[in-house]
Amino acid sequence: MLDGGAIVFFSDTLALVARDGVTLTFADGTRAHADAAYIDLKSDRVVLAGHARLARRAATAAADAIALDLDGDRVDLLDAASGVSRTTRALGAATAAEFDAARFAFPDVDDRNAFIKSKHATITPHADVRFTPASFPTSVGGVPVPSYLYTYATGAGFAASSLSGATFDQPYGLWGSPTSLTALHARWDDGPGAALALQQQIVSGDDAYVSASIDAPFRGYAVRSFTAYKRLGARYTASADGSATIYGSFAHAGLTAAFGLAGAALDYRRSSTGFSTLDASLRTPDRPLFGGATWRLKGIVGFDSLRGGLLNQLPDARRYATVWRHGLDLQVASPLIHAPLGTTLSSTFDLQRTWYAFPHHYDQLGASASASRPLLRNVMLFAGYQGQWSSDVFPNAQTVFYPTPATPLLTPDGTPYYGYTAFSGARTFRSQNVDLQFTPNRGASTAFRLSVIHTADFPQFNGYGRPQWEARADARFRPFPNVGIDVGRVYDFAWGGTRWQPRWSFAITP
Amino acid sequence: MTHALIAAVTAAILFRIVPLACEGDRLVVAGAGVLRLAAGTSCAAVSPGRAIAIALDADNRATPQKLTTDALPAAKIPRAAYVLAPAAATDADETQLVTSTIDVTVPPRTPPGDDVYISTERSSWSPSEVRMDRVDARHFRLVLQLHRGARVAFRVTRGSFGTTERNAARALPAAHVALGEPDAHVAVVVAAWGDID
Repeated sequence: MLDGGAIVFFSDTLALVARDGVTLTFADGTRAHADAAYIDLKSDRVVLAGHARLARRAATAAADAIALDLDGDRVDLLDAASGVSRTTRALGAATAAEFDAARFAFPDVDDRNAFIKSKHATITPHADVRFTPASFPTSVGGVPVPSYLYTYATGAGFAASSLSGATFDQPYGLWGSPTSLTALHARWDDGPGAALALQQQIVSGDDAYVSASIDAPFRGYAVRSFTAYKRLGARYTASADGSATIYGSFAHAGLTAAFGLAGAALDYRRSSTGFSTLDASLRTPDRPLFGGATWRLKGIVGFDSLRGGLLNQLPDARRYATVWRHGLDLQVASPLIHAPLGTTLSSTFDLQRTWYAFPHHYDQLGASASASRPLLRNVMLFAGYQGQWSSDVFPNAQTVFYPTPATPLLTPDGTPYYGYTAFSGARTFRSQNVDLQFTPNRGASTAFRLSVIHTADFPQFNGYGRPQWEARADARFRPFPNVGIDVGRVYDFAWGGTRWQPRWSFAITP
Repeated sequence: MTHALIAAVTAAILFRIVPLACEGDRLVVAGAGVLRLAAGTSCAAVSPGRAIAIALDADNRATPQKLTTDALPAAKIPRAAYVLAPAAATDADETQLVTSTIDVTVPPRTPPGDDVYISTERSSWSPSEVRMDRVDARHFRLVLQLHRGARVAFRVTRGSFGTTERNAARALPAAHVALGEPDAHVAVVVAAWGDID
């Protein structure tokens, strides 16, 4: 525990600097006093500066400066008159030692750039620091909170979230340890609006984690979910995830294996409706084709299953409670081609066919192309095209599975979509985008982007499917040295009976 | 004589130091060594842990001064000035903001319209913490302004935890590290994404 007249914390250097009279209590009961203190959370190093004193049971030590570790045994005492001596945390007799400058490095920091200011900090080494109270300073004043838990553990599991993505998600740590974190999340998302969520993470380094959460919007229904992961040696990983609402539940378990750059996967999914799928897949590594292009083939075998039968359109649907299938997926990627005037081009192609254990197959062709070109030193132009064409084919039974609707399909605003009668299982998704990116100061802290996206799909009509036109603007900047903001505004035009429909995205970054 | 001495000290080169302690005529400089104060100078203006400037007189004795932006780092103090010095000094100036560049190469199967983000412990690993700037279809770049000495652990995502990068074995990789050193650069090649096999 660290108490000081003033404590400043820097999130990128993980430096804690306390001044104006400091008291530090270590886990083993050692107490320290000094005029100022520096704690390097990267290395767990502590420097006590000015009238430094250590006390452990009846033993004491005093010096002009003392260097020690949060959980180590070595204690270096610096006396301005006599030099450096060394002892242990038992504070026995000190012996003369060499002057190690790195042990007594105390950073020169600018308090105006601090991420947090406080008067009391409780440190859990390699895990987190709780500040009580905490203030987030800006040039126009500080934002105070009674308590703030800053987690700096780097285990992959601390990044694992079972919460769905949101327009805005600000976690607030409640309790933490080197292997766990309980956090409250203030969230906002289009649709459900504001929500509070509680998430518990249990972590074992980069190798295993479990994360469980409940997301409770003020309007709408709560979502309970979990995700878990375990690395099984160098080749295998196991994972599981699931979610449940008042409308039903979903669960997934998976296993992956790597054989060099080739790999395999086994996935089982089940929902509370009784629908389940099993997929076993094998993939080749990316292999050279020509001119730098690569190809990859993936084979999949599995089944779909549903209590009462999958094919409700058939009179003997119960016979088809489980339908096996197998498929092939060929992917081709071009290299990045450098053309004149700084232009780059790239493209990908994807061809899939899935065969079912009754007269039915599903074909899909995907293609994408991207181009970039610098317009000015700090301005880049990007253009992209993505297309996907699929066909769900039931030989001699197409009209059974894709019948012409007896009444026109109504779009969300009530407009009849007569063109839907032409839909018989073949879909098209096409989109084109143009982006203009401006990065003044070579992108340091500030970036602006304007995008226009056009989609031409089938089926697609007035609110049914993707919006035909979308424009978005994004800005990333740092209004204060220790606070960054990424704000976005998106407009969907002439869609779903509205002239335009705006959306926000917003994120605060340290 | 006194006026001449003051004028000489004022005109002298200033050094920016972080004092660890000041007792009697001894001034302990963080990461450097122990200086002797000039005659008639007291420790009253010295607050341990808070940066100040000092000037050295002809006898290499220190006089605390008001901090100015042109003060040289403590590492520039002549070693002869120290009455007690380590074998090598350490520069711990963390006031300076330096740029650290992260370059990310994404796999060809990355959806072309997707943004790429970095996620760090600074935001409790928010998967959409900082959006990277697109360089071309396969490359993204982010220039971070970090305090000198910073060590920021990060992972690459496409905006959600489900899209976090995976290594060639489809396992979660250890975090990458961006360093707060002048013109620091880290290159990351994403082998695969969590949601794309």
